[in-house]
Amino acid sequence: MQGNVADRFAVAVAQGRGSPQVTVPSSGARAKSFSRRRHGRGLWFVAPFTLMFVLFTLVPLVYAVYTSLFTSRLVGGTVFSGFSNYQAILSSGQFWGGMVRVLIFAAIQIPVMLAIALFFATVFDIGMVRWGGFFRTVYFLPFAVPTVVSAIMWSFLLEPEFGPFTKLAENLGFHGANLLSPSLLLPMIIVIVIWEWTGYNMVILYTALRSVPRDTVEAAMVEGATLSKIILSVKLPMVRPALVMLGLLNFIGALQLFVEPSILASFTPNVSFGFTPTIFLYNTAIGNQQYDLAAAGAVVLGVVITIISVGSLMIRRKMRSVSL
Amino acid sequence: MSSWTWDLPKVTWIEKRREARRRRREELERTTIPLRLYGVRRGTVVVVTVVSVLFAIFTLIPIAWIVINSTKTQPRLFSSFGFWFAAPFHFIQNFKDLFKNVDGEGIFTHWFVNTALYAVLGGGGATALSALGGYAFARFEFPGRKVLFFAVLASLLIPVTAVSLPLYFVFAKVHLVNSIWGFILPSMVSVVGVYLMRIFIEASVPVELIEAARMDGASEFMIFLRIAVPLMVPGLMTVLLLSVVGIWNNYFLPLLLFSKASLYPLTVGLGFWGSHASVSGDQLLYPLLVMGGLMTLLPLVLLFLFVQRYWRAGALIGSITG
Repeated sequence: MQGNVADRFAVAVAQGRGSPQVTVPSSGARAKSFSRRRHGRGLWFVAPFTLMFVLFTLVPLVYAVYTSLFTSRLVGGTVFSGFSNYQAILSSGQFWGGMVRVLIFAAIQIPVMLAIALFFATVFDIGMVRWGGFFRTVYFLPFAVPTVVSAIMWSFLLEPEFGPFTKLAENLGFHGANLLSPSLLLPMIIVIVIWEWTGYNMVILYTALRSVPRDTVEAAMVEGATLSKIILSVKLPMVRPALVMLGLLNFIGALQLFVEPSILASFTPNVSFGFTPTIFLYNTAIGNQQYDLAAAGAVVLGVVITIISVGSLMIRRKMRSVSL
Repeated sequence: MSSWTWDLPKVTWIEKRREARRRRREELERTTIPLRLYGVRRGTVVVVTVVSVLFAIFTLIPIAWIVINSTKTQPRLFSSFGFWFAAPFHFIQNFKDLFKNVDGEGIFTHWFVNTALYAVLGGGGATALSALGGYAFARFEFPGRKVLFFAVLASLLIPVTAVSLPLYFVFAKVHLVNSIWGFILPSMVSVVGVYLMRIFIEASVPVELIEAARMDGASEFMIFLRIAVPLMVPGLMTVLLLSVVGIWNNYFLPLLLFSKASLYPLTVGLGFWGSHASVSGDQLLYPLLVMGGLMTLLPLVLLFLFVQRYWRAGALIGSITG
């Protein structure tokens, strides 16, 4: 469910790196040369996108808030019920259980993945491994595999009866090993998501490392800095913004975890009704047909994620202004 | 309509590519410090190389597994060693089964065609809308421009779940559930596409060129079509690729929208087979799930290997400004 993390990063990177081009040329000379009517024509160009954006993004959001304030009853139809749906969601153990689970997931998966990605980005940047281009392509490959298919492949690999990894575990002496047992399911999802996203994160960090000027590194060398010193105090500070951004974007994605557990559910009975918040919402809306309740849940999830994103962006901006 | 002409530099596509590749190589040589200057010990290099190879193996394991196991019969799939071939070689039979007689009606072929249709229409639409919108944001100062752009960018922070689920509620209300347009039309909204196109146009469509065409009396739309679009091709390719891949991979929205199996895209179809196999115990579906997974990832992996440049450009927009 980290699908649009990639999209978001494209924007994040662009904001950081492409800013000189973003600024519109000062309008002085241009304003004279083409009239206000010409500028107005821009509305025709932007209209099709805006119309679709309003219809398929803004309208649903508003409608979700609206629906969440009503309750449908078998008898008596749909009645205004204020915040009762929100009360139900916020007091639901299943919703919070899922929330805690994705938080644990994020707390382990993201640091591990970023550490691996940063390690390889550094190694390839320095040129420590031959055929770095080949390795980068291989590592990036899972990014091209649809999430559903990677979940299916891993489901087969980990399947408790015939999965090759299960057999391997049995050969190693773990009899009756079940890699998808309640306690191992989450660690296995962590492995799957690391498999899917490390290469992508690595390529972004690699690009950030490449942009460290050669002179800066050489100056440090002349002063006799060791390799570890160059990495830690010259290169790492330069990629910190990218690292922070990746942390945030992976976090947003992690809170929406859906595809992997929902495919694994066909191979193990241990994916519960509220395994993750998104699975909870899906089951509430489609399984139980409780649209109003699911709408309230979607709003809660949206608000939580938006607060976290905006909050961390603001903290980051504050930190940057202090350091300047 | 166009009495004017404009001499664009006559550089062919291939020459441009070759030039770009040469420039990239030079850039790499210029910015790379020779390894020996770092004073890395030989032992470290060996250890790091071994670790890199191990991680490459980890990355390739599932892909190798799916290629190998697409050649097996159903009983062999479960009984043989997972990482090696097992006779009889059933690849062609599995392939035929997948596209022909599943459920007796070739439902997988249906899903494949659906996915291609959704990806082409949605991706084409997204690219067109992004090109028009990005051009407006980059080259016009229409009223409300800043507010609109801010609203569009801010929407990126809203999680997919919080948009897809309400979209389903709205569609349920207006009877767009189980309509292909219910999936295609929302897929045409690409906020990232608009953003990428804006950056790209600001970098590569000169204002002077537009001005000159205006002096010659060309209409705004003609200027866009004849002057801007040809200069936007690499940006358009990136947006098209990103949207096509995004639609090909989308699972959540079509899962919500479609309850008729004949409308499923590949992702939802495979998920459906998985749960159907586990509920009904129909073991014969498993080889098809493996082959179906391979057929779903193959087009994207090939696309990735052939136009890697655009993937990276999409991921790291910094490189498309050049």
